[in-house]
Amino acid sequence: MNFLLSDEQTQIVDSLGSFLADRAPVSRFRPPAPQIGNADREFWPQVGELGFLGIGLPESQGGIGFGAAEEMLAYREFGRHLLSPSILGLTLAVRLAARAGSPLLEAALAGELRVGLANARRDAKLGSDCSGEFHLFDAADSSWVLICGEAGAALLRRSDFTDVSPVLGTDHVIGLERGRLIAARPEIWVDAASEPVYSRAQLLLAAYAVGIAEASRDMAVEYAKNRQQFGKPIGSFQAVKHLCADMAIRTEAALCQVIFAGLIQAEEQEGVDFHTVAAKLVAVDAALKNAASNIQVHGAIGFTAETDAHSFLKRAHLVEQLWGDSRHQRHRMLAAAFPD
Amino acid sequence: MDLKFSHADRSFRDEARAWLHANLPRERRPHSGDAMRQFDLAWQRRQFEGGWAGVSWPQEYGGLGLSLTRQLIWHEEYARADAPDNHLCFVALNHAGPTLIARGTAAQKRDHLSKILRGEVIWCQGFSEPNSGSDLASLRTQARIEDGELIVNGSKIWTSHGHLSDWQELLVRTDAQSPKHKGISWVICDMKSPGITLRPIEIMTSPNQVHFVQCFYDDVRIPLANVVGEVNDGWNVAMSTLGFERGTAQVRDQIRYAYLVEKMIREAQRRLGSDSPLSNDEIGARLAQLRADMAAARAMTYMVTSRADAGLHDSRSSLMRAMVGDTQQRARRLALDILGPDALENREDDDWVYFYLRSFSITIAAGTSQIQRNIIGERVLGLPR
Repeated sequence: MNFLLSDEQTQIVDSLGSFLADRAPVSRFRPPAPQIGNADREFWPQVGELGFLGIGLPESQGGIGFGAAEEMLAYREFGRHLLSPSILGLTLAVRLAARAGSPLLEAALAGELRVGLANARRDAKLGSDCSGEFHLFDAADSSWVLICGEAGAALLRRSDFTDVSPVLGTDHVIGLERGRLIAARPEIWVDAASEPVYSRAQLLLAAYAVGIAEASRDMAVEYAKNRQQFGKPIGSFQAVKHLCADMAIRTEAALCQVIFAGLIQAEEQEGVDFHTVAAKLVAVDAALKNAASNIQVHGAIGFTAETDAHSFLKRAHLVEQLWGDSRHQRHRMLAAAFPD
Repeated sequence: MDLKFSHADRSFRDEARAWLHANLPRERRPHSGDAMRQFDLAWQRRQFEGGWAGVSWPQEYGGLGLSLTRQLIWHEEYARADAPDNHLCFVALNHAGPTLIARGTAAQKRDHLSKILRGEVIWCQGFSEPNSGSDLASLRTQARIEDGELIVNGSKIWTSHGHLSDWQELLVRTDAQSPKHKGISWVICDMKSPGITLRPIEIMTSPNQVHFVQCFYDDVRIPLANVVGEVNDGWNVAMSTLGFERGTAQVRDQIRYAYLVEKMIREAQRRLGSDSPLSNDEIGARLAQLRADMAAARAMTYMVTSRADAGLHDSRSSLMRAMVGDTQQRARRLALDILGPDALENREDDDWVYFYLRSFSITIAAGTSQIQRNIIGERVLGLPR
């Protein structure tokens, strides 16, 4: 039993981290940058070239041949840098295409397939035909849309959606639309019974949430060390210090549970549902609370668009909603079998 | 990164499980007094005779000399078997013993270590004072040195089970002139020494529950040979083993609490109707979050063990302690809410109310959660003092 990263895993994380620090600093969303939508998809081909879209896919299928643990570590970095969550559409499209033997695999692995995400709003039914009302994320110039749910995952054409209309998103750097599916047949449908695609998606969202929690903690601590009031750094005051300590405690709990769930998935041990749902709940809670505390530690400047604090908060809410919010996950938590 | 245990670790687990199953005390652990002392010592003795005492203690002192991972496995199986915690042996096994191993003289080790493992003696802690709680280093119990003896005068307080103990690890001020951390000595004190008087202190759980004593020292004579480490180096001696086992013993509690939550879910189903806790009412939502947090607490122990096994000794284990304390307290409170009106009955045969009241100590003992957060802020995050 060992929860520490291997040397190889550390290298993977470091190389991804430095690529993203250069290509995707969180400050990319600050004014005067356009406040609606983002250009992250422009560097998906580079992410593909670095191997991260097929990191969990066997080498025989064109992937890198790592497992759930490495994929989880990559998503933690994606969360730290607030990559458009549509990258999860690509990661899962790779998985679906590989499973279905689809010719889309090559373009997906290369980051050239344009895939947005969809999340159920009401009356959603997923399967070999899909219906209901959905939100679409970063899907406006995508040809494809990925939806995941407890039943499985579907890759649909964007043109399958009707009544599509744009809406201002709460997380406004993500393009948001409403749309409807009426008995649409997915290009690829993978049943959760045949492939644990839902639990993998939830694990990666939880890892992304850990990244948000960590980045918010680090930003708050850095500010508390430097910002002076009453002639001292504000971090020397217990009221602020304890806010930061709470952020560190939550982050550690979330990180450890996400690692636990990742290893359970990687080693196909008992308790995948139990530990994955726990990971999503704990990680989303840490992301939401840390993002809020980070704004508080910053004071008035934290309330502006001139810092990145609000970006973490808004993204945390989006991640919470994706494919089952915390209210829903709490139901699943109680229904999961307790792994003794 | 992996969750695998080696073949040898798995056989160790099987043996521990089988031994615990066959040797668990069948009788209920008494809640107080000499009966509790006899129970705890007998159970420790049985573990020693079975070859399971001191899993990670060095072999030369009677332990098994095994890895922290094996220690973790032992604690996991111990909790899974629902073995009674011999709380009275806790200070000796987890603090005094390891301190003597790290800093004691050959004679001190010979006189005490094997008695601890064999379940012959109970130790208590004499650290806090009426005016030195969180600011422990300000302690004022004084010891002057005369003719090869320490003459101790002063008072210690919050000494758990002091009235049932044979020995005390006692911190005294041997130099009043030096800075406060530098004039303290760590001393082995015989609780039967003339000049020691004890005042029992009742705790908030229920009438006549004595958990602590206050100790008064009136010209108590202790041989200089009982000083552990150097005179005036007691602060460093005390700090050297505060993190002994690096938190692996915590996994016992975490597994116990995970089982408690399962029991709470069943009890909520029984009391509120079988569907209720699964529907998203208040109790159901809190149970679900607690189930998730208990899983995370255990994951944090695995992280702490992994770091210690790799030789990384840092303050990150304080994150686990803080999280676990809050979560356990929340569990005890929720247990009470599940009981509803029956929470007003503090019944002896049903301990949820007793342990709810008891849970207020979790965030106070061994450094309040506020002190923990100072430590996290300063030592983990690097914030200024």
